Amino acid sequence: MFDGLIAFGHSLASFMDPMSIGLILLSTLVGVIIGALPGLTATMGVALMTTMTIKMPSGQALLVLICTYVGAIYGGSRSAILLNIPGTPASAAACIDGHQLAKQGLAGRAMGIATTGSVLGTLIGMFFLALFTPVLGNLALKFGAYEFFWLALFGVIIAGTLTGNDPLKGWIAGLIGIFTACIGQESIYAYDRFTFGDRNLAGGLQLVPALVGAFGFAELLATVREKPVPVKLNPFDSVIPKLRDVTQYWRTILRSGVIGTFMGILPGVGEDVAAWSSYAAARRVSKEKEKFGKGSIDGLMAAETGDNACVPGAVIPVLTLAIPGSAPAAVLMAAMLIHGVRPGPMIMIEAPTFVYDVVAMMLFATLGILLYGLTLTNLLIKVLMVPKSIIIPIIFVLCVVGSYAISQRLFDVYVMLGFGVLGYVLRRMKYPVAPLVLGMVLGDLMEKGFRRGLVLSDGALTPFFTRPISAVIWITIVLVIAIKIPFVQRMIATRFGRRPQAGGA
Amino acid sequence: MNAGSYPASPRADFLGALAWIAFGALIVVMSWQMDRFAAQGATPHTYPGLWPGLVGGMLAALGGILALRSLGRARSAGWQAGESDDTEIVAPSRFALGAGLFFVYALLLVGRGLPFWLGTALFVTAFVFLFQRAQRIADGRAARGIVVALVCGGATAAAVTVVFEQLFLVRLP
Repeated sequence: MFDGLIAFGHSLASFMDPMSIGLILLSTLVGVIIGALPGLTATMGVALMTTMTIKMPSGQALLVLICTYVGAIYGGSRSAILLNIPGTPASAAACIDGHQLAKQGLAGRAMGIATTGSVLGTLIGMFFLALFTPVLGNLALKFGAYEFFWLALFGVIIAGTLTGNDPLKGWIAGLIGIFTACIGQESIYAYDRFTFGDRNLAGGLQLVPALVGAFGFAELLATVREKPVPVKLNPFDSVIPKLRDVTQYWRTILRSGVIGTFMGILPGVGEDVAAWSSYAAARRVSKEKEKFGKGSIDGLMAAETGDNACVPGAVIPVLTLAIPGSAPAAVLMAAMLIHGVRPGPMIMIEAPTFVYDVVAMMLFATLGILLYGLTLTNLLIKVLMVPKSIIIPIIFVLCVVGSYAISQRLFDVYVMLGFGVLGYVLRRMKYPVAPLVLGMVLGDLMEKGFRRGLVLSDGALTPFFTRPISAVIWITIVLVIAIKIPFVQRMIATRFGRRPQAGGA
Repeated sequence: MNAGSYPASPRADFLGALAWIAFGALIVVMSWQMDRFAAQGATPHTYPGLWPGLVGGMLAALGGILALRSLGRARSAGWQAGESDDTEIVAPSRFALGAGLFFVYALLLVGRGLPFWLGTALFVTAFVFLFQRAQRIADGRAARGIVVALVCGGATAAAVTVVFEQLFLVRLP
């Protein structure tokens, strides 16, 4: 307990130099602006910043990325409240009541509530990050090839199930991601698969250019297709949060913080699901249900607390299992690997203080969003007024040069373009993109777990199903899939007298 | 309503499903044709094509389920159910122009002998000018539009070149 606190103190002190403080302020600001601009997501922001931090020392690079991540998830609430357009998908739930408050002339108060919820949500998530990571890290040491195979598969399945409206399409997107992880030399015989003799493909597809394409370029293609809409802003009052909002809604804050963190821990689920789940839970227990959708402070607080609590939550499985809890966390994990940090079960043995470094980074990012939440309203409004016709080409230049900068080869630019087109087509066909990313990130782990498991058992599949932890995970996977099958839904409805859900597989 | 929030029609889903079936089958065939390292005593569970073959098979199977589901939807609601007229919020001509500029920049202006800063300045200037042109002409400020586009192009090219070359030590294409 005290060892942890001492390690956390050391981590805090290690970032107290002018360079780190400057990076915290700059990268949180970049994150807030990226999040506030509709069409630019947190995943895109973290991916773009990954390309710009390649040459930095690993500690500073990860500090920049975590500040960008936290800042972007917070920044999305600004456009949600002021424009009724979620800056990131995570802020979609905040639109409902945030913009209603803005229309009532309470945009300042809504922004203050968003700041309060985001700061407290991140702090709650940080608490669980510091508490659970060492425990889960020790538990993860018991995981073998079989468990990692199932866990990686669970990540893709749960992302496919929860991140879109159609689980079947989510699972297909996940399989496409898993397939892309097969490209290049396999691990046992170094045999080139799906490379067509191109030596650029022998090492596999670089993750960051692919993610920059799937999230950055694809978003730009979608944005240029839409006609420009004139920006209309409502007048707003003071953005300084009120203590009363914390004392009155402390139950909502705690509940949403826990829900958001739990949603973050679930592999691949992400901030948008965390925000909606927190919002739904708040509406269910609220004494002011009738205000939801008409400018409920309870609802806005729940959504903003939930999505920001998800950020530290999503980092917990990254650190302990090398399985990302959300799409931006997947990019963060890729960045960790690029910078020589090996997340996973061994992290508590190889680099036990790294967990506290991450907690300290989260704390600095939280202070950053608090600072900008209180001071930067007018600047952010000016940024929101910049025409997209100016922002889009600049972002595309960064997509191109960022993809190129990682290995300094044009091939990665073409990978970015290819995945951009794929991401755009998938979006147009209503396929969620988060499972694709999870598949790309977890595909390698899944295959290694599968093949190592088969080698260990001399080809027998039994251990995949009989080992206790494996059994728990595969039974969960079967249940997650089963409840999305219409026949099973009808059976449950008949048995328990409930109507089946829409959007079944 | 956002342009992306309309549901996909059974026709779009069916065509997508056929593509997944074909792609999955292609992966299975290519996986089957991979070397099995028999001379080195490889067993079936170590074949390089085993895992991608399973993934391809699953993809084709899920594509088949999607095809059956879209056929069912088409029978009950018609092939175009869910397709909506979104012409008020989207402009295909803007998409064609934007996508064209993106690809011209990434494929022709970068890494083909033209200095990076010049290619970037040309791309950003052209993009800003062309996307603002109609509004500028309507406002009677076409000349100002050219100046704004040139400033954006020049500033972006200078900033990106300096930051990546001097700060991040990247040798730009």
